[in-house]
Amino acid sequence: MEILKKVYRYLSSMKTGLVLLVLVGSAAAVGSAFLPDVFFNTWLFKLLLIILSVNMVLCTANRFILLKSRLKKNRNKWFREIGNLLLHAGIVFILAGLLVYAFYGQNGQIAIRTGDTVDVSQIIALKEPFSLRLDDFKVEYNEDGSPSQYNSYVTVLESGITKDDAVISVNHPLNYRGVKFYQQSYGYLIKTKYTNDTGSEVEELIKEGNFIKPEGTERTVKVFRYIPNFDPNHGMVTKTMRPDNPRIIFSVYEDKQLIGVGAAQFDERVEIDENVYVVFPAVEPYTILKVKSDPGLPLAFWGGGMFMIGVTMALLAAPSQGKKTESIDSNREMR
Amino acid sequence: MKLLITVIIYALFIAYLLGAVLYFIGNKSGKKQALSTASLMVKIGLVLNIAALIVRTMIAGRLPLANSGEFTLWFTVVTVALYLYYEAKAKMREAGGAVMLISALLVGSIIVLMKGQLGEATPLMPALKSPWLTIHVLTAAVAYACFALAAGLAIMQLAKAETKITDEIIHRIVAGGFVMLSLTIVFGAVWAEQAWGSYWSWDPKETWALITWIIYALYLHLHRRLGWKGKTASKMVIAGFVLVLFTFFGVNYLLSGLHSYA
Ligand code: HEM
Repeated sequence: MEILKKVYRYLSSMKTGLVLLVLVGSAAAVGSAFLPDVFFNTWLFKLLLIILSVNMVLCTANRFILLKSRLKKNRNKWFREIGNLLLHAGIVFILAGLLVYAFYGQNGQIAIRTGDTVDVSQIIALKEPFSLRLDDFKVEYNEDGSPSQYNSYVTVLESGITKDDAVISVNHPLNYRGVKFYQQSYGYLIKTKYTNDTGSEVEELIKEGNFIKPEGTERTVKVFRYIPNFDPNHGMVTKTMRPDNPRIIFSVYEDKQLIGVGAAQFDERVEIDENVYVVFPAVEPYTILKVKSDPGLPLAFWGGGMFMIGVTMALLAAPSQGKKTESIDSNREMR
Repeated sequence: MKLLITVIIYALFIAYLLGAVLYFIGNKSGKKQALSTASLMVKIGLVLNIAALIVRTMIAGRLPLANSGEFTLWFTVVTVALYLYYEAKAKMREAGGAVMLISALLVGSIIVLMKGQLGEATPLMPALKSPWLTIHVLTAAVAYACFALAAGLAIMQLAKAETKITDEIIHRIVAGGFVMLSLTIVFGAVWAEQAWGSYWSWDPKETWALITWIIYALYLHLHRRLGWKGKTASKMVIAGFVLVLFTFFGVNYLLSGLHSYA
């Protein structure tokens, strides 16, 4: 019993809390400098955060229990006391939110082409499945040709029935029944027309970097990349994102040897070999959305609010420690 | 316009640097004349700093809240405004040299490290188009300015045998900065959640803001609960500001992450 009490005292003390804070800070510093991608996912670090949470829960609970008697002792300090409590409880809520996400949160990524429908329950587990259809994808540009916004026009469907439609853009995610969709990225598929090995002319959507093998030649063609604003001075990188001078960069191989590279315009007939042609009529954009469900988000949200109000009450609005507060400092509970 | 902002930035640097030198001389020799000229230089500097922000707004065609040059201008304008307020209120000019030297060096960093950032019209990238950006950056500027002022006071308190700078005043300023840093971090998290779909991702800037926040949290606890005052407390305030500078410069130039454009 004595030992348990001691452990409890130690775990719930503010000193331990401060030591833990120093540990978290130093670990984060070392981690971000040397192992930024893995360190924060290690068990060691998570354990540290969990111990800190436990410490703060106990510490905050103790303060809450003692609040009444403390307030009786120092009536003039209630504002700061409430602030302190809110601030610490807020941090605990935030940590709890993170913990809930670590256990129950899900996230994934979906790429959708215009007109296609994706079943969201294929990406993350859903109680009531629904699908997302991309109706259109539009990039807006600034005057200088840099992108100013990416917009995915989507429709939410449940068993084929339209439930909602929305525009998802950067900073404007869609929230559908707790599942959030964020505009994350986009890409292009390249429409490619050529005669295939059965002799018929096909129009295929090719992913950047993939090969095609046209009929009538031993040569293969790598559909390397779509460049929206081609400028020879910029090489293989687009000058701006706006399609002011769109080109398809392709390369031709024979016996795995590179024999030529070209930059084709849309609809330009490119001769690959004698009487063998490839045409790139257009590109088709696809959007990449991040999908996330985080049942801990409300906890973190309210925690953040409590924390902000608490910190302001405890430190800004409260009077500074003058003569009057001396008495409180003399009965510090350094548990 | 491009020439204009360059001229303003150089004039601003000179005004702050001259102010710093005059404060040092005046405090050393006790000459009132030098000290009031220093105050005047600082006021001229403040006007130039505001002018720089206005001209930058005109060049960019938006509020200047995005790149590090723009942020530095906010950082110094709030630092200097707070300092002048402190000087008027506390009727003390002891810390002028240190605070103005910090401000001058910050403006100097625009000239050395952020060349050309302020002269070009750079539109915002989609992720930066959020009202949270405004509030996140402005609270950060106030937080950093409080920490700069507190560090300036702490340096002078450590450097002098006899001083009227009290722990109490340093503590109050740090407390104000801590509140603003807390708001900065929460607003930043809200924004990151909307823009990138996660409110905390241990990106270097976030991580170092948290580390900075931790050191000031320690200071506040130790100061009140364990009665750490005087030299130890002041050293912590200075260490905190070193972390602030690392979070700003070190992370931007040494580590990479979501924030590396800012
Ligand atoms: C995680 C970061 C933390 C922050 C940002 C934080 C912040 C604060 C702040 C701002 C105060 C008010 C100080 C003042 O009135 O001057 C305070 C007070 C206090 N904190 Fe924390 N705290 C943290 C963690 C902890 C932990 C882990 C504990 C212990 C479990 C703790 C226990 C206390 C106690 C007992 C007080 C009493 C102050 C008083 O009586 O006025 N704090 N904290």
